[in-house]
Amino acid sequence: MADDRSLGSSSVGRLVSAAGVYGIAALFLAVGALLQATGIIRGFLTIQNMLNIVDAAALVGIVAVGMAFVTYSGHFADMSVPTTMGFTGYVCIELLRYGFIPAVIVALAIGLLIGLMNGFVVGKLKANPIIWTLAVNYVTMGVIRLIWVNKQIYPDMRGSGQKAVELFDNIYRLRFFNLIGLPVVMLLVLVVAGQFVMTKTSFGVKLKLTGSSLRAAKFSGISVERVITTAFVLTALTATIAGLAVTSLSRVGAWYNGAGYDFKAVTAIVIGGMTLAGGRGSILGVLGGSLIIGLLNNVLTLLGVGTFSQDMIRGAIFIVVVGINAKSLRSLGRDDA
Amino acid sequence: MEEREIGLALEMKRVSKRFPGTIAVDDVSFEVYAGEVHALVGENGAGKSTLMKMLAGSFDDYTGQICINGKEVKLHSPTQAKKYGIGMIYQELSLARPISIIENLLAGRLPRKGPLLDKARARSQAKGLLAHVGLDLDPELPIEDISQHEAQLVEIAKVLGNGPCILVMDEPTSALSREEVERLFQIIVQLKNRGIAVVYISHHLPEIFRIADRVTVMRDGKKIATKPIGEVTREEIVQMMVGRSVKEFYKRDERKIGETRLKVSGLSRFGFFHDVSFEARRGETLGICGLSGAGRSELAKVLAGLDRADEGRIELDGAEVRSGTMADALSRGIAYLTEDRKHEGLALRLTVGENIMAPIVDRLSSGSVFSKAKGAPLAAELIGELDIYPPDPERTVGNLSGGNQQKVLLAKWLASKPKVLILDEPTRGVDIGAKMTIHSSIEKLAREGCTVLLISSDLPELVGLSDRVMIMRKGHFTREMGFGECSEESLLLAANGALGAEGGA
Repeated sequence: MADDRSLGSSSVGRLVSAAGVYGIAALFLAVGALLQATGIIRGFLTIQNMLNIVDAAALVGIVAVGMAFVTYSGHFADMSVPTTMGFTGYVCIELLRYGFIPAVIVALAIGLLIGLMNGFVVGKLKANPIIWTLAVNYVTMGVIRLIWVNKQIYPDMRGSGQKAVELFDNIYRLRFFNLIGLPVVMLLVLVVAGQFVMTKTSFGVKLKLTGSSLRAAKFSGISVERVITTAFVLTALTATIAGLAVTSLSRVGAWYNGAGYDFKAVTAIVIGGMTLAGGRGSILGVLGGSLIIGLLNNVLTLLGVGTFSQDMIRGAIFIVVVGINAKSLRSLGRDDA
Repeated sequence: MEEREIGLALEMKRVSKRFPGTIAVDDVSFEVYAGEVHALVGENGAGKSTLMKMLAGSFDDYTGQICINGKEVKLHSPTQAKKYGIGMIYQELSLARPISIIENLLAGRLPRKGPLLDKARARSQAKGLLAHVGLDLDPELPIEDISQHEAQLVEIAKVLGNGPCILVMDEPTSALSREEVERLFQIIVQLKNRGIAVVYISHHLPEIFRIADRVTVMRDGKKIATKPIGEVTREEIVQMMVGRSVKEFYKRDERKIGETRLKVSGLSRFGFFHDVSFEARRGETLGICGLSGAGRSELAKVLAGLDRADEGRIELDGAEVRSGTMADALSRGIAYLTEDRKHEGLALRLTVGENIMAPIVDRLSSGSVFSKAKGAPLAAELIGELDIYPPDPERTVGNLSGGNQQKVLLAKWLASKPKVLILDEPTRGVDIGAKMTIHSSIEKLAREGCTVLLISSDLPELVGLSDRVMIMRKGHFTREMGFGECSEESLLLAANGALGAEGGA
């Protein structure tokens, strides 16, 4: 297995911790099975339920793989993801009447623009990434409500729109061998590509330097602004892809389509072993983190735990993981963040 | 109480401290009298810092005995150490940057009037502490608004405020200008007269001969000797430190100086330097001498593309360079080694190999695929050439000693194979061994035809390495000295503006 510290002295340790994420995922699986065996929950170990888990993990995972680049660059997270997802979903549905391909291309272009803007403001103008992207999230929300006057929108099924809508529906519903959904396939493709980009390309090496020490990277002649911008663009593009998938699932353009994906993605990222300080972690770990988020949601839902309580539990897990991470770094004497 | 009569303030008896895999301090006995300035010297990694950390209460598992004023004490926490009157002044400042001098100086003992802060009294107390170190600053300024050397003096004032009986100073002069060093020495003499025991750690041997009463040399975790300062020479100390004799420090080879490589005319950055013109040739080492604040680093940053010039022209091999960015300057072959190793120079969390390859990521990539394997032989070669210890490219840089970190920083720029290498304080704060390695590497680079611009406050270094030295004073080039005419004294006088020829370059 490739890992992000292949240049580092602790590559063995890293490998163990990346494997650890999957260990935890296996543990969740075992807990679910145990709960079913003791009759506390029902329907956990069915093929349908496993597919549900993977599908949910895929949506979180797609966002997380992109956002991991921002985290790895030392800029924590992109909080504009929820409305990027919502906005691009609206745009795509609105434009389906002009055909499927143009609608998707325009949606991706808007995602790209949001990413470029975030990257420019954070990378070049040095805005605080959390505050800036949070502000963008609110502004975009306002734009959505302004344009669509607080309404959810449905695809226009008339005339040639019919075909486009069918294609759009398939983004979420297309299943290979009647099992593996298109989002899962997209996630796997993104994971492989992301892992490659992060560890094997010159951009990945520069990203690691930037995330580890922004000033040292700058004083090594690296265009850190460009690196940071690329990271935000990748996040916005994967958020757009996830936004289209979520919109395809619900068949409706709605402002709440991306709600909660910001925090779910960050949680998946830190559970996957990527530190908020930047420069450490791997995309394979993030995949594991996303699986854990999917499993957790599923088990909690089957247990009858409500959405709000689930948010609370996810929040608590996030705090614990970040705490453990910081503590273990300090004991290694590496906490120079 | 017997010891008290002979005035031993500190007595460390056969102390040792192990780290996994190494013995950092090995059976060392170390004594300091009250009212004595005791210099502690040794190369980086010799165990000086660990010995002093022991005294600061950083370890709870050292072995051996520590007595303070004749009484045996256990120093297992920084609070205990402070209670027994041990004050530490570190090379790296411990001040909180965004808050005021008052709050830094009086942290934990701010005077109160009922539940409120007694601001007037805090002000006057802070003023008093600052006056001790000869500073006349508004104590309400935040630390980040004062200069680094003022901050260093504030740090000293803060530690003195705790009323220590033993004061440890670790490289206290590395950020200070010459006048400030003099001021610090006066303060040390005052402390000495008040009966305070001062442990003075420095790589700068002339300082030790100025200020110390006795000197203890450490090497590889062991104490080599303690001697009254009058009974040793500089050469003997160096020999004890490195464990071999140091022959000629600066051996000058024949140099072949070629055609003009870098031509700078009328270069200005308003507020920092003005109308600077010079030429530097292939294979030439051009020293740039000046006091801190003379505009040396600012000039270097403009040449390296990190800042823009307001006026003037830079030519490399006859073609004008308009570098907007460092990446651009680097691609043309102008490299800049920063004076701030820890923040600007190295990514401390990454490995030696990753740091060395940082400036050449693009060159090691085909298309956009990076090949670490392509850079590995170069990294290994540089690690060997600069004698970086441990010789392992996979080691995290932050865990290396200061001298070895500095070598990694140089290796990084050697890897970029520059045409012009600008060195900003390339050996500040490193031990003699590392310094010699770095110097011979600079000489080799010049022999191979690289143009070296050497900015340094270390006058012997400037004199020893440069073919010519330009004197920079208050943002202007004031004078040039050839190899024959420059000496430590003449440079110092010129940098201070005492040697005529003001204004003309």
